Amino acid sequence: METIASPPPGVTRAPPAAEDLIDRFGADTVQTQHCADGVPTCWVVPERLLAALAYLKPRYPMLLDLFGVDERLREHTPEPASDFSVVYHLVNLKPWREFRLKATTSAASAGLPSATALWPNANWYEREVWDMFGLRFTGHPNLRRILLPPTWQGHALRKEHPARATEMEPFSLDEERQREEQEALLFRPEEWGMDRASADTEFMFLNLGPNHPSVHGVFRIALQLDGEVVIDAVPDIGYHHRGAEKMGERQTWHSYIPYTDRVDYLGGVMNNLAYLMALETLAGVEVPPRAKVIRIMMAELFRISSHLVFYGTFAQDVGQMSPVFYMFADRERLFGIVEAITGGRMHPAWFRLGGVAQDLPEGWQRLVLDFIDSMPERLDHYQKMAMDNSILQQRTRGIGVYSQQEAIDWGITGPSLRATGVDFDLRRDRPYGGYDQFDFNIPIATGGDCYDRAAVRIEEIRESLKIIRQCVDNMPAGPFKSEHRLTTPPPRERMLEDIETLITHFLSVSWGPVVPAGEASFPIEATKGINNYHLISDGGTTSYRTRIRTPSFPALQQIPLISRGLMIPDLIAIIASIDFVMADVDR
Amino acid sequence: MLALFYFAAAIALIATAMALTRANAAHGLIYLIVSLLAVAVVFFLLGAPFAAALEIVIYAGAIMVLFVFVIMMLNLGRSADEEERELLAPRYWLVPGVLAACLLVELAVISFAAPGHSAGIVVSPKAVGLSLYGPYVLAVEIASLLLLAGLVGAYHVGRRFIDRSGGNKS
Amino acid sequence: MSPLATALFGLAVLAGAVGLAAILTWFERRLLGVWQDRYGPNRLGPLGILQVVADMLKLLTKHDWVPPFADRVVFVFAPTAIVVAMLLGFAVVPFGEHLYLLDLNIGLLFFLGMTSLAVYSVLLGGLASNNKYALLGGLRSAAQMVSYEVFMGLSLMGVVMLTGSFSLRDIVLAQQDLWFCIPQVLGLYVFLVAGIAESHRLPFDLPEAEHELTAGFHTEYGGMKFAMFMLGEYLGLILICCMITTVFFGGWLGPWLPGPVWFALKTSLLICFFVLLRAAIPRPRYDQLMSLGWKYMLPLSLFNLVLTGAIALWLRGA
Repeated sequence: METIASPPPGVTRAPPAAEDLIDRFGADTVQTQHCADGVPTCWVVPERLLAALAYLKPRYPMLLDLFGVDERLREHTPEPASDFSVVYHLVNLKPWREFRLKATTSAASAGLPSATALWPNANWYEREVWDMFGLRFTGHPNLRRILLPPTWQGHALRKEHPARATEMEPFSLDEERQREEQEALLFRPEEWGMDRASADTEFMFLNLGPNHPSVHGVFRIALQLDGEVVIDAVPDIGYHHRGAEKMGERQTWHSYIPYTDRVDYLGGVMNNLAYLMALETLAGVEVPPRAKVIRIMMAELFRISSHLVFYGTFAQDVGQMSPVFYMFADRERLFGIVEAITGGRMHPAWFRLGGVAQDLPEGWQRLVLDFIDSMPERLDHYQKMAMDNSILQQRTRGIGVYSQQEAIDWGITGPSLRATGVDFDLRRDRPYGGYDQFDFNIPIATGGDCYDRAAVRIEEIRESLKIIRQCVDNMPAGPFKSEHRLTTPPPRERMLEDIETLITHFLSVSWGPVVPAGEASFPIEATKGINNYHLISDGGTTSYRTRIRTPSFPALQQIPLISRGLMIPDLIAIIASIDFVMADVDR
Repeated sequence: MLALFYFAAAIALIATAMALTRANAAHGLIYLIVSLLAVAVVFFLLGAPFAAALEIVIYAGAIMVLFVFVIMMLNLGRSADEEERELLAPRYWLVPGVLAACLLVELAVISFAAPGHSAGIVVSPKAVGLSLYGPYVLAVEIASLLLLAGLVGAYHVGRRFIDRSGGNKS
Repeated sequence: MSPLATALFGLAVLAGAVGLAAILTWFERRLLGVWQDRYGPNRLGPLGILQVVADMLKLLTKHDWVPPFADRVVFVFAPTAIVVAMLLGFAVVPFGEHLYLLDLNIGLLFFLGMTSLAVYSVLLGGLASNNKYALLGGLRSAAQMVSYEVFMGLSLMGVVMLTGSFSLRDIVLAQQDLWFCIPQVLGLYVFLVAGIAESHRLPFDLPEAEHELTAGFHTEYGGMKFAMFMLGEYLGLILICCMITTVFFGGWLGPWLPGPVWFALKTSLLICFFVLLRAAIPRPRYDQLMSLGWKYMLPLSLFNLVLTGAIALWLRGA
């Protein structure tokens, strides 16, 4: 396989972990694969998969991601792959180490062994693989569709499944069909191993959502209630599923950027960053310093914007009416800056392969400085108004607690992980895109409850303000886009030199860049936790497989664990404190 | 005044009859509340405004609320209505009905045999208080002790431990 | 007053209360706007006051819908109970020294009775809707109302003790020298909290709690029936403020201005205070509300009662 990029700083090359695995399981069981991001990657025969995972778990305690790949149409297929493969992305937080284990399987086979016994968060990921590829996992407690409706025909991420509605027969919903669909949506407690009554009480089953003021989008939780006490909960997702991963396989590398904006729709360009970091690793594009700093500044602005929305809705969900208006007003001012710089507001789609779309406009410093100068005082005010309020504290302290170990087991990342006391932030512990040049603190808390999750995010706003100030003070001069040949769109000045460059430019703009075959992923610290795009290129103008690992997905999976035995208002506080976006969950 | 009295009394009687014959528990309760309100008006007209106010505040405003509360907790469905309708068969109410009728007759005889009681004297709240905490203070104390015992008992019976370790597959 | 004048005045009170409640829907939104860095409804008419008319027209023309699964009769009856009960409550409010409808010798008890009847709206609305959210809202309100009525009544007893009467007019007249908000500051505090709970407004709007129960007891309601609930809530708010003014802030008493003006001023300030509370305070959890009631409010009101009794006896002895 051809690869160009050198591994990013902080990642150990020549993976000893892979050698360990080969030593232990034998070269006929384990084969290595080289990936563009330098992450040690091994293939293991399905029979020994569980043993290999169990061996790796103490070294890589977190299952960051688990996804399937349809290998059938791939030309640059790595050696052991056959029809389908399943990828286990494992990480150790401190020090940051990654490992990728792959197993090959086929739709006809009995399937792979389920990893749910090792990692509880494998549950939903395996359901997703079943939903999207039709691959079975033996020993899974409840293997059913998760993102698509139970009535869906086919498995959407298989290569033979159409990507556009126009390739399918026109959709119609007659009465019969509507009845069937509604029937399929009915919550049946028995399917989830729930009793309808206990010895002394009959349970109430309540549909919280998909339309409910506090579920932040279309999200359903089926609750088993005794009075107002939550006995158990079943989160039901998929109502916001738009097939962002499938779209990645039909858009060019360049034209996929606007779709990423809409994954975590509060994160704006933060999504562009996650996607482009992986893409640039795969393509081997180096970003010039000015572009790096501009990117960091914009990403941190969006981190603030996202946290402000969180802050306001958090206070609102525990019944405080006013804060959200203040925070949305601040966010509006922030969008003013974003608009002045990018022309867009929530979804600027402004980062480009190799840099950013334009240089900063004249006078941008004043806009940004005005904002960051005024914010600390306002944050103090909000602290007094919301976080110091004793009723709010009573509602959120000691509610929805999980431990460090539970957070790691369930794949919780970002501020929600730091609220349990894990001092880990990718921006510092595995600096990317120039973050090593900045001076900032990583706020942590120790309680792991709803209040701490909010407190950490609020402190992060202050730290982001610091970072942005450093960006303003030290903005480097120079180009805002790389000179690399894959930079999209290529610089216009060079196009006009001779016919050769004209042709290159023409192809690059009309077809889009051709990215060398290979695989790469790049986890970044997004607004809500680790966002990771795993990109597989088959040497074409589109991605062969785009996998989006989002922080919201595992967080929702954990809701039942932390809400059992609490009351409905506590559940609302928990949902508010998780800080998820349904598009980020369902993609 | 007299017409008002008979009007309120008639409402009380009709509402009570309706309350007894409703199959739906919630409907029955609403009639019972109306009946209590009518009785309050009767009290008021008889010159006992304090008793009337208490009838509303305590019976209609608190005790019946608890009744409705219980009905909501039980969340009875249509099947309960059917069962209730069964219970309205004459064989269930005939004997208690006859006994109650006997009492009614006795009450009528007494009231007509010894006229002169009732109407005319207004009993102010102060008078009620004075007699409660004067001649009848022992009865009040005993009643409050009983209530306290009931409260403690209810707390003890009602306390229940909730198993917080749910365990369903999800 | 002659019977005709009384009848006219009664009608005026009814119309005034309903009109004020309607205007309050606009006033509250504007006031919240001021406190929340936004405008509120400011487009229709001067300062946006015609928004009230627009809202009313909208509600009147809405489809009058009863869900097929609801208990039809109770569903329709429920919203009227709160409006009727609250309007009846206004009968005993003395707006001025000679400006009142009824001077019952049990005026205070009458007020308590009417507020306790208002809870049936919420309860029956929740029950008749046959909806789980409505049911939970109804359950919450039953527990909340029954508990808070206890302290509401108890908190007023100190005042009754000092006055020696349940008549609201006597209570105001007894405040010639000193408003009861000074000697009965504990009673005022408990009554205020209980009053918010009784009118189920934020922070104690648990029966509604839109973030938890979507809209609680009135989830299934729309159009005029929903408007009746809202009307009842605002009437309740005004009534509670009238009561606080009467019982603790000397009713119509005040220098220079005529009595009713003082009464209106005091009541309006209290209404603003209630709106401010709504803007500022988050909502406690249901069990926290109950424990606040039984663990703090009940002992506090009993303590107030004992203290007032002791002082009253001591003053009489001296």
